[in-house]
Amino acid sequence: MRYAEFKAPKGVIKVELELTDDAISRISLSGDFFMYPEDALERLEQALAGVKAERESLLAAVQGFYSSTGAQTPMVGPEHWVEAILRAAGG
Amino acid sequence: MAGEWRMLPMRIDDAFMSMAIDETLLKLNAEGKTPNTVRFWRWLPSAVSIGCFQSVEREVDLGVAKKYGVDVVRRITGGGAVFHDHDGELTYSVVCKQGEVPDDIIESYKLICGGLVRGFAQLGLRAEFKPVNDVQVNGKKISGSAQTRRWGSVLQHGTVLISPEVRRMFELLKVSPEKISDKFITSVFERVTTVERELGRKPSFEEVRAAMVGGFADALGVELVEGELSREEFELAAELRSKYASQEWLRKR
Repeated sequence: MRYAEFKAPKGVIKVELELTDDAISRISLSGDFFMYPEDALERLEQALAGVKAERESLLAAVQGFYSSTGAQTPMVGPEHWVEAILRAAGG
Repeated sequence: MAGEWRMLPMRIDDAFMSMAIDETLLKLNAEGKTPNTVRFWRWLPSAVSIGCFQSVEREVDLGVAKKYGVDVVRRITGGGAVFHDHDGELTYSVVCKQGEVPDDIIESYKLICGGLVRGFAQLGLRAEFKPVNDVQVNGKKISGSAQTRRWGSVLQHGTVLISPEVRRMFELLKVSPEKISDKFITSVFERVTTVERELGRKPSFEEVRAAMVGGFADALGVELVEGELSREEFELAAELRSKYASQEWLRKR
């Protein structure tokens, strides 16, 4: 189990993940951010499963999540999730 | 944005019932069964609420909560963990159709928090909205809010810090140990304030409530008409209470 925290402009993103062959095999996101609608967070976790733990692949997955769900996260953007995940993957 | 909204009487409930009432109002408002509503309430016993995306294990010292008889509940709204002191916090909830507030999330916080800003002014305090979800006096947080939008309606609830016990808060919330130094606690006093500290006296809950009622009516441009929870609302809330009291819900993340 790998774990890291990242402080976004609004909220701390907490990431727990497991890697298999450099790809995310399990991920759990938590923290004090806001996301509308709230049930979208599970879809973000699903969108990240199987994704290679490197910046470009993660960014594409997170951006895909935003465009497919229309989710809103005030003052938290795709790059903040990616940063949090990279920290957990590297730690 | 005009017309009459319902103002419920002040209530004092446990954390689980309070969360259940808020969800009930949201759900039944969305179904067109209950009017747009404003209410003020307190927590008994004192409680910690965590945001819907937080991990309870990571945020709250459950052993300390048990020791002090403090309830711990997961909200349906995002945001952070909050210690709600029975003697030190007045809490508000606003529930309305989504069309009553701006689509833009920060703008909608600004509109509803505008009620608090005007209420603080009535108490003699110059307050301002601090995006995303805070109200500040003299650059320090005096109120925090959280909002959810479901089924076509909006629930926003939040705190008015009258005189919370900050040291108790640090015992309950998991802050990394090096942060619980006198220096850190001093820095919190620089970032967070209370009505008591700003006014130099502790006003009664009723005084603060009355100020906020006027503030919301002004900010929302509505008349607040006193009303009661309906039987249907009370019954649904009693049913939903068991979800909020369950370990399954508390440990969802």
